[in-house]
Amino acid sequence: METPVIVRVFDIVGGPLCVSADDGQRVHDKIVPLLRDGKKVVLSFEQVETLISAFLNAAIGQLYGEFSEERIRELVSVRDMDKEDQAVLKRVVDNAKTYFKAPKEFDQAWKEELGDEE
Amino acid sequence: MILYLPTIHSDQDGYDSLAELAKATAKLIADRLELDFSRVSFLDANMAAPLGAVLAGIADRFNAVEIVNVPQMVERILRKNGFLTQFRYLPLDDNNRTTIPFKRLQLTDEGLFEDYLQRHLKGKGIPQMTEGLGKVFKQKLFEVFQNAVIHSESELGIFVCGQFFPQLQKLDLTIADAGIGIRDNVRRYFNDPKIASVPAIRWALQEGHTTKKGKQPGGLGLKFLHDFARLNKGRIHIVSRFGFYEFNAGRESFAKLENDFPGTTVTLEVNTADTSAYCLASEASRDGIF
Repeated sequence: METPVIVRVFDIVGGPLCVSADDGQRVHDKIVPLLRDGKKVVLSFEQVETLISAFLNAAIGQLYGEFSEERIRELVSVRDMDKEDQAVLKRVVDNAKTYFKAPKEFDQAWKEELGDEE
Repeated sequence: MILYLPTIHSDQDGYDSLAELAKATAKLIADRLELDFSRVSFLDANMAAPLGAVLAGIADRFNAVEIVNVPQMVERILRKNGFLTQFRYLPLDDNNRTTIPFKRLQLTDEGLFEDYLQRHLKGKGIPQMTEGLGKVFKQKLFEVFQNAVIHSESELGIFVCGQFFPQLQKLDLTIADAGIGIRDNVRRYFNDPKIASVPAIRWALQEGHTTKKGKQPGGLGLKFLHDFARLNKGRIHIVSRFGFYEFNAGRESFAKLENDFPGTTVTLEVNTADTSAYCLASEASRDGIF
């Protein structure tokens, strides 16, 4: 069996702060070619101190617009991530699944409620 | 032009007064504003952030801004937190270490924001905060900062300021931008120029709602902020253009401001005595994430 590729987020971002969508995009762009090649990717969050949803939306969330849930489950995993950050990632992943399934219907219902002019 | 600033509390009236200041000076170009503080009997220190954003907007139109007649007590607070030093007042040492200073940052300054939080949150209730709470609080502040980076289009940057109240065991931190506001982002997203500020904020607070149009999902930052305040029994204010939102003691309220407040300001008040565990971790195990 092929050894998974360990992707050290700290090294890609260049520090312990994963707090920008741009940095998340860089992580995303590093892992997508690996996933396209069918390689297993382990994202290591060792030394990462602060992690926010905007970073994870870019790094991982948008993968759900490019790969199937099954494929992501098969190829992507995380390690060295504390429980709180795992909970944030879980919310990001669930939100991404919903977002890519039905982004339009989401909005139509709200549009009716908007419209009081200023 | 001479204008009198009234007392500014960290509440709807305070923001209305700042929005009025922005409106009164909207046509002032290459001129001079003398902002008279003699009627300011109190100014909540964190409000230096949105006041700074409004004044930066005025100065950006080539106006000279001068602050005069500041009552002694107000002057002490605003010299301690560094707000008045940008108007040529001398700094004053904060012996009690309760100040979280006024700072203007650029949108690309995430690293400086980290330094700011590291340096100025330390010792301000954080020892009482559990390690988990301190971490989650910081995370939420970065969510707010990043929201400003992604959505505000603020050419004047981001303005932060706070205050720690040891007796009350609470800490306020305010992040203000001078950008286009939530309303304009939502208007663009729906291609509807009539959407008002309050429903725009209401929409943006829903989980998964984002005005980002690219491939990245979003719409979690404000939801996380709300969840945090609920668990922490803290407080949130979001002020954006004509819209005012408050979450306090588990209750949400929305109101419309009288005037157009430039940009978006978010205040998070954290209850530092909170000992709750911030582990939503039961919701996630590493194997079940994807």
